[in-house]
Amino acid sequence: MWAYIVRRVLATIPVMAVVALFVFSLLYIAPGDPAAVIAGDQATPEDVERIRASLGLDRPYLVRFADWLWDILNGDLGTSIFTNLPVSTMIAQRIEPTLSLMVVTILLAVSVAVPLGVVAAWKQGTLADRAVMGFAVLGFSVPVFVVGYVLAFVFALELDWLPVQGYTPISQGFLPWIENLILPAIALGTVYIALIARITRATMLEVLSQDYIRTARAKGVGQRAILFLHALKNAAVPIVTVIGIGIALLIGGAVVTESVFAIPGLGRLTVDAILRRDYPVIQGVVLLFSFVYVLVNLVIDLLYTLFDPRIRY
Amino acid sequence: MNTTRRATLLGAGALLAAPAARAQTAAANTLRVIPQANLTSLDPVWTTAVVTRNHAFLVYDQICCVDGQGGIKPQMAEGWEIGPDQLSWTFTLREGLMFHDGERVLARDCVASINRWARRDPFMQVLQPNVAAIEALDDRRFRFRLHRPTPMLAMALGQTPFPCFVMPERIAATDAFQQIRDAVGSGPFRFVREEWNPGQRALWVRNERYVPRNEPVDGLAGGRVPRIERVEWTILTDPATSANAMIQGEQDYWEYPLHDLLGLLRRNRNVVVEQRLLDGTYGVCRFNTLHPPFNNPAIRRAVAMAVDQRDYLRAVAGDDPAGWEVCEGVFTCGTPMANEEGSEILKVRSVERARAALREAGYAGERVVLLTPGDYPQINALGLVTADLMRRMGMNVEVVATDWGTLVQRRASREPVERGGWSVFHTTSAGLSLQQPVTHLFLRANGAQAWFGWPDDPEIERLRAEWVEKGADPGENRRIAAALNRRAMESMYYIPLGFYWQPSAWRRNVQGVFRAPATVFWNIRKG
Repeated sequence: MWAYIVRRVLATIPVMAVVALFVFSLLYIAPGDPAAVIAGDQATPEDVERIRASLGLDRPYLVRFADWLWDILNGDLGTSIFTNLPVSTMIAQRIEPTLSLMVVTILLAVSVAVPLGVVAAWKQGTLADRAVMGFAVLGFSVPVFVVGYVLAFVFALELDWLPVQGYTPISQGFLPWIENLILPAIALGTVYIALIARITRATMLEVLSQDYIRTARAKGVGQRAILFLHALKNAAVPIVTVIGIGIALLIGGAVVTESVFAIPGLGRLTVDAILRRDYPVIQGVVLLFSFVYVLVNLVIDLLYTLFDPRIRY
Repeated sequence: MNTTRRATLLGAGALLAAPAARAQTAAANTLRVIPQANLTSLDPVWTTAVVTRNHAFLVYDQICCVDGQGGIKPQMAEGWEIGPDQLSWTFTLREGLMFHDGERVLARDCVASINRWARRDPFMQVLQPNVAAIEALDDRRFRFRLHRPTPMLAMALGQTPFPCFVMPERIAATDAFQQIRDAVGSGPFRFVREEWNPGQRALWVRNERYVPRNEPVDGLAGGRVPRIERVEWTILTDPATSANAMIQGEQDYWEYPLHDLLGLLRRNRNVVVEQRLLDGTYGVCRFNTLHPPFNNPAIRRAVAMAVDQRDYLRAVAGDDPAGWEVCEGVFTCGTPMANEEGSEILKVRSVERARAALREAGYAGERVVLLTPGDYPQINALGLVTADLMRRMGMNVEVVATDWGTLVQRRASREPVERGGWSVFHTTSAGLSLQQPVTHLFLRANGAQAWFGWPDDPEIERLRAEWVEKGADPGENRRIAAALNRRAMESMYYIPLGFYWQPSAWRRNVQGVFRAPATVFWNIRKG
């Protein structure tokens, strides 16, 4: 097991190197010019050229890539072209809101979706099953910003229970922290609830048709124990996979929710950086995202061994 | 006392939320602002972004500035004296001016700041050949020595489009093409750098050492009195969320509300919606004069014949005619240079006549590449109206929908459309920049040195130079401005599209808001 973990961790290095090369090359050939954005309408072409030179954007591709790679190897993600702040600082500013939103969303999604999926499988073909599947279809179909606006209208504007927007760090109190996260987590969690509920139902149906479940029933094991001890554990592998993918997606993919609820997360940072062509920031966050993807996949693979003893590394 | 249900819920969780209660108290002393854009740079010389300029008005002070009527008034300066031969201007600073780091503001700080700013400001670059030297005479006085009389010097120093802000000499010594790292000024508010989270928030606190002028506020002139402890900007990118935050009282001031949401805000009795900026925002349709079909002035004029500014303004600012105005000249309407000499072509407003004129001009179906930025809704709307007009005229139009970052790069390309060039794009400009020929970017027609589109019209340049030379004679200036308008309508390298008003919104308990050429936050308090 330990040898496997070490092998997997070492395998992240070439993955990250390929990602780094790919991201850098993509940004190099992509259209857009941060110097023109900075200089503004009043600037002459000579002014734009001088700003480009001052930012080092006029240097050859290989020189820029080598410099950037060297800085990365020294633990320096670079400095934002626009803000003059270190990219690591800008990422650090966005990590807490991102993690907070991700944790609350996943907790909400798992705690609602897994029981719903189990019940749907248990009551297959009944009204309960149809209701859960109907909700799942709805959850997939309604865009997250629509859910967000409706939630904000009802719970913030009409009922005045929760704030419309913003993020409060947990250091300023648990209640203000969670108060700002409830609506975005529900909006964002809807699609994950739908996804996890469907996967749970499908895998549970497969497991519930196995011989050992029939044996357990014949031996008089209670329904709850069958569902949650015998069936769910054996259905866990695909469910955990989906949850893991959800976590990875939520790290940088919650841009719309972050915009609707003004959560200063990594997704928004990425989009803003792309629109401005803030290359060091884009490169830094994409590297971070790829690292998180690799890490989450490793954790999922390791979790498989907990749920299925037949899996060995 | 107006207790909301959410406040009650908060109260129930008081133990958990004790820090939040402190935050609410702080909110009473804080003006919470939704700015027009994300504050990404702190240097008002390095970038011309309006949001950076607004930040700079909080942090820095100006030697002189414009009042509500467009006149130039002293601000940091006690005043200035012009030598009898008009070849020297001596400025004297007010007593008691201090930077945020506790250092006195000295004349040499002003000289260094002017020198850095002058390297980037187009207006000052026009005057720069007249300047022999700028020198500090002592701690409070500095002098411009001139080669020839330059009556527009105060206007350049006090302008709003690209203001000359005063920084400490050690910071102003930074190259004008490098971004400064310290936001240390002598203005009414102090920037709290450690609280700055670009994309989320920025914070300024009252500068206790600031000595305002003992005069009522008047435009940007008069006493810049900081009447609130803190000014906090929260970056909200979603207009609907911004409107909700204003209605709920989570934010106090919204700089640029979306026009579609003005009705919603006006219906809320706790929100005031008013025009605060003195000038409107002007639309511009810009042609690439280097390549077919718009290297032919007759084709450009044919397109202008189809333009009805009202279509554009409705697309941007809605059907309420109070929200926009037709302005069929190149200079800002309502200002001394405004005129409609030769503008009859913009009053044709007929697609049929435009189609006929296009045929006569010899249009041969050349492809027209029209760039539109999807992330700038107003500019995008202008582009889509033009695309529709051109198609109705029978032109072969390809709309390239992109983002602003890509557009500003592509518009710099002088290649033909087959090799990645462009034919037409749109932009907007504050009316402030279009008041005079010397600051009017779109009017320049000096070929390769001109703004994107690169029109080459020596007569325009000759008239512009004449206007600068006769800067002290209002009558002559108006005559030259009329000639400029006439010539610009003949060349038609850009089409003026009228202007729309951009109101601001604030909560009713926000008091002391005044009209100004820029969004500034002194004199404002919460009741």
